[in-house]
Amino acid sequence: MSSVTLNGIAMPHVTEEKEKDIREDIAWAQINRDVLASLERPRATYWALFALAFCMFLVGVGCEYYQYNTGLGVSGMNNPDVWGLYIATFIFWIGMSHSGTLLSAILHIIHADWRKPIYRFAEAMTTFSLMTAGLFVAVHLGRLWQIYYALPYPNERWTWPNFQSPLLWDAMAIFTYLSSSILFLYVGAIPDFAICRDNATGWRKGFYDVLSLGWMGTDRQWRNFRVAYLVIACFLIPLAVSVHSIVASDFAMSQQPGWHITSFPPYFVAGALYSGCAAIITLFIMLRHTFRFEEYMTMPILDKTARLTFVIAMVWTYLNLIEYSTVWYGDNAVAKETLIQRATGPYSIYWWSMNFLGSVVPFTLIFKKLRANLTAMMIVSLLLNLGMWLERWMIVTPTFSHGYEPWTWNHEFFPSLVQWGIVFGSFGWFGMLFMLFCKLVPCVSMYEVKEMIFHRKLAKLHTREA
Amino acid sequence: MSLEQTLNDWTRLRQTHPLPGSHPDLKWAMAIDLDACTGCNACVVACYAENNLPVVGKEKFAAGQAMHWMRIERYWNDTDENSPDHGAQFLPMMCQQCEAAPCETVCPVGATNHTADGLNSQVYNRCIGSRYCSANCPYKVRYFNWYNYPEQEMAWPEPLPMQLNPDMTVRTKGVMEKCTFCVQRLTDAKNTARNEGRQVHDGDVTTACAQACPTSAITFGNLSDPHSEVAQKWRLQRVEIDKDRQLKDIDGSHPGLRGYRIFEDLRPYPSVMYLERVRDTQA
Amino acid sequence: MTIKRILGLFNDFDQATAALRELRGANLPHLDWNDVTIKSPIEHPDVEAVLGVRPIAVRKWTLVGAIMGGSLGFLGIATSQGNFFSQLKGGKPIIPLPPDFVLTYEMLILGGVYITVLGFLVCAGLPTRVKSELYNTAVSEDQIGVMVKSNTHCIAEVRKIFEAHNVLSVQEEVVAS
Repeated sequence: MSSVTLNGIAMPHVTEEKEKDIREDIAWAQINRDVLASLERPRATYWALFALAFCMFLVGVGCEYYQYNTGLGVSGMNNPDVWGLYIATFIFWIGMSHSGTLLSAILHIIHADWRKPIYRFAEAMTTFSLMTAGLFVAVHLGRLWQIYYALPYPNERWTWPNFQSPLLWDAMAIFTYLSSSILFLYVGAIPDFAICRDNATGWRKGFYDVLSLGWMGTDRQWRNFRVAYLVIACFLIPLAVSVHSIVASDFAMSQQPGWHITSFPPYFVAGALYSGCAAIITLFIMLRHTFRFEEYMTMPILDKTARLTFVIAMVWTYLNLIEYSTVWYGDNAVAKETLIQRATGPYSIYWWSMNFLGSVVPFTLIFKKLRANLTAMMIVSLLLNLGMWLERWMIVTPTFSHGYEPWTWNHEFFPSLVQWGIVFGSFGWFGMLFMLFCKLVPCVSMYEVKEMIFHRKLAKLHTREA
Repeated sequence: MSLEQTLNDWTRLRQTHPLPGSHPDLKWAMAIDLDACTGCNACVVACYAENNLPVVGKEKFAAGQAMHWMRIERYWNDTDENSPDHGAQFLPMMCQQCEAAPCETVCPVGATNHTADGLNSQVYNRCIGSRYCSANCPYKVRYFNWYNYPEQEMAWPEPLPMQLNPDMTVRTKGVMEKCTFCVQRLTDAKNTARNEGRQVHDGDVTTACAQACPTSAITFGNLSDPHSEVAQKWRLQRVEIDKDRQLKDIDGSHPGLRGYRIFEDLRPYPSVMYLERVRDTQA
Repeated sequence: MTIKRILGLFNDFDQATAALRELRGANLPHLDWNDVTIKSPIEHPDVEAVLGVRPIAVRKWTLVGAIMGGSLGFLGIATSQGNFFSQLKGGKPIIPLPPDFVLTYEMLILGGVYITVLGFLVCAGLPTRVKSELYNTAVSEDQIGVMVKSNTHCIAEVRKIFEAHNVLSVQEEVVAS
């Protein structure tokens, strides 16, 4: 390490090493120990949090019970406001599910290995978000007990669902996405289940024995695993894009003012990636603290995730603003009026909040000091997701309060407590599922962290030699 | 299944709608003369009686959860304040039975379809209540059963169930409903005609609203029958069902034409023609 | 002739690779190279390269699955729409191509993913019983295992090669007498 002089003045030596995504000298056995420690018998705090999530869920169940028995009128919906928070929150949860695909699949294909310590819980978040979104499909229906009519099964009346309906495309796409996500999560976790099996006792040994399918890490198994994982990742990316585009088609394929916009599919996909990234930051901070994963879920990785969130926020901002611009520039008087009503009518405060939270707040992610501050990042990520939820609501309801028919204009349709209760309960459901996951499945992918360390060590050796 | 048969089927299955001549025998349509309409609401009441509509009560009506398949929309024209009716205008609005209905494509289970006699059908048994049809309707003429009116809301306390129309079901909560052009009456008329070995004649059947209207503002009939009253009215106004712009709006060369369809430019091809009020523009 | 298996555990990939290279160079008679397996906590394509090119059939399964998914999906949807033909909807054709395209796309991906997973399980030989062959839990932690199946004489030679490359532990079992 020689010092550098410029015109006789000694220049300070610039350090070669900036903060690394992960230490290359962590022992593999240490990785096993650290992650398996997170699967140990939970303590009182865990049970308290689980009970809290369960209580939230019960609130939702109670509201749904009341609604199921009395009729959807208790939700406060009416003619013309026929879709309320159920559809808005449904889209929100589907959007949140794109986090896993972004991290697992997209970053995998471009070999961004910093995803390795964090993708497992992101993929789990995808699966559970989809399961929560499915709840809303059920809750929103007038005759929930006949939801199976939407499934294509042969029956004696030769009736089939209507394949032209975007809601039905939703059903098929979400089914495909949910099952593919579960398979991807499961297949990717097989080597980790083998590690758990090798270290478990009691009922867990049998449990992991079954889940690991007898994985022994032979070259034949690894070879096929590598290819299968990559192939499924390649499928998942167009699938994720198409799923949220199809959800966007629920609106874009209708004629209603404020909905019939061709940029809705990419707009929704961008919003989904945005939502997912922000949620990853939230869960990252919580898991890092709870399970003391500071070695694995490092600050540089959080930094990268935050920067990615900012980039996606800017993409979303563009698509959001271009939607307004095209409506403003266009010839459709009703759509223009709907836009003005969003900004000045009964929903203006929510609409402006959405724009502020979605487009202005992400600028805090530019500042490195803020990105390194865990409390600030937690608050920012929650605010971003609040903005995204508001966005979904602002897509659904204002169109109903300014339709083609003049008598629909300027009504304030506000959801009843029943709707809020069910939305609240959905977060409890998600929390319960996620907490169960944390104690049954290793939330950091042990074999991938080992791979990350191994390859970085090799790369470092090669640069030293060169 | 020969290749020729498959190809013929394919051609038939790929046709879009509406096409001229797609309903050669029966196409139910309506003409409503807004100049004759007094806004008396008799049509609304007749519809309630004929179709077993529940009266939801003041509170639910104020909450926007009413069930009136036929509604009278009131518009006020400020510039007409010195006229006898102080600028009030009435528009009876019900399901327009669109030939290319936006509600039909979006029902996930196929509970709403287009019948051979040109009606937009609503199958209560199939409906699971996703309400996408109502979201997509530009006229907002679809009404959802927000509550269980017969059993829980007691919309018909004894002895009112005796007043219900036996030809028509009473809907439970969670299903969508709308004006059907009194399809129970139409089916009855078609059956009678078939039993007698003839076509349905003009005047054989009419809807409850047309029947009740004191000024005969509503005309109902078979648009495919060139001699029916409604077909003559459409022809007189030069309104054609499968066009999205009529002669009246193309140029100002026919100032006497009064016939128009609502939201025609969205191209749902509605089956209801409205006749504009005659305005005394020179006074 | 007794058939035995031997599993040698190494500290890292370099030593395991060196041992395998020497094993290859030794050209032992009665040693079928397909009976040599590596067990490791992570995949390592370089070590696997020493074993020679071994086929990966999963991609063929994917192709078959995707084609099947797409075509069966389209046929199923189109025929069910055709069956429902008396019911026109929204003025659109009874077999409309845009919705059919969207659904065929989804079914293609569904077929591709499901059949890939099935293909992975079949090609990798899962599920299998861990007790069916030699296994050491250190393999899932941080050690690399090299397993060879052959007759007693070969196994003794293999053991010598292992010991020459700092093997950490060796296990043997009899497969058949």
